[in-house]
Amino acid sequence: MVKLRARCLLVGDPAVGKSALCHMFRSDGAHFQKNYSMTAGVELLVKSISIPETRDSVELYIFDSAGRETFVEACEKLWGQPSVLCLVFDVSSEPSFTSCGRWLERVRAHCPDSHIPGVLVGNKSDLSSRREVETSVALEWAQSQGLEYCETSTKEMENCEAPFLTLAQAFHASYQDRLQTIQNLT
Amino acid sequence: MIDHALSSLGAQVVLATSCDEKHPPENIIDGNIETFWISTGMFPQEFIIRFAESMKISLVTLHSYNVKTLKIEKSISDDATDFEPISEKQLEHIEGHLQTTDIPLNGLTVTHLRFIVTSGFDHFVSVHRISIE
Repeated sequence: MVKLRARCLLVGDPAVGKSALCHMFRSDGAHFQKNYSMTAGVELLVKSISIPETRDSVELYIFDSAGRETFVEACEKLWGQPSVLCLVFDVSSEPSFTSCGRWLERVRAHCPDSHIPGVLVGNKSDLSSRREVETSVALEWAQSQGLEYCETSTKEMENCEAPFLTLAQAFHASYQDRLQTIQNLT
Repeated sequence: MIDHALSSLGAQVVLATSCDEKHPPENIIDGNIETFWISTGMFPQEFIIRFAESMKISLVTLHSYNVKTLKIEKSISDDATDFEPISEKQLEHIEGHLQTTDIPLNGLTVTHLRFIVTSGFDHFVSVHRISIE
């Protein structure tokens, strides 16, 4: 049994629902924030996830980082050396999807030495009549960048745990992989 | 005294910030390079070694993997307090090989040594053996 710890960076354009996703995940779907309140700095949320079919768990330290450009530079100082990445856009906003490439570049500049597992999240999937980004387009881009892809609706409480479980599993897998490498060294 | 397992001299690891029960911190001082302690995510990571009695040390040798920056502090108190920095190292990464690092201490007297890994070449770092002279 082992308890891993991962620094999970949560980024994306303003108002795509990063904090809402975070709060839904923390409260197991019990708490949807109806009023928008802008995140100005970085909010930290800690939650443990069990890895299915093992006795292991991953404690995620989620750094919910402001999306507004004015705050980004200050927030970046708090990112440190991230372990995993959760990149969020709004499926009803094409510009928020277009920004993802820039976000990814920014985060990768913080981890020059190691690959970081990541997931792309298309949030607000309930807004089907206003959808601007098709699932297939987002999926294709995610795959081209080596990211997993999932869609969530924090409002309808749909799939909110999925991105974090995906990240925890990817981090756990990289731990197992690294253990193997180290055991083979000696 | 080199190549001697520190644990057989009564040394203990009294603190470690990570523990995989299959790779416990005691593996650092068992004298065996094949067993190791592995960090389980995030930085910094640290461990503290307590000696059975105060020791005069001229050299510490560390065998590790994926460690990038390492700080070492010493304490001369009995209860692991009042640490003072003594060394800071940038390590090289050699794919597929353990890192061997010599840290000369010029005959310092210590009761505790604290090793802080402030960054790594990967999410996880391992420490295989520490020997002293």
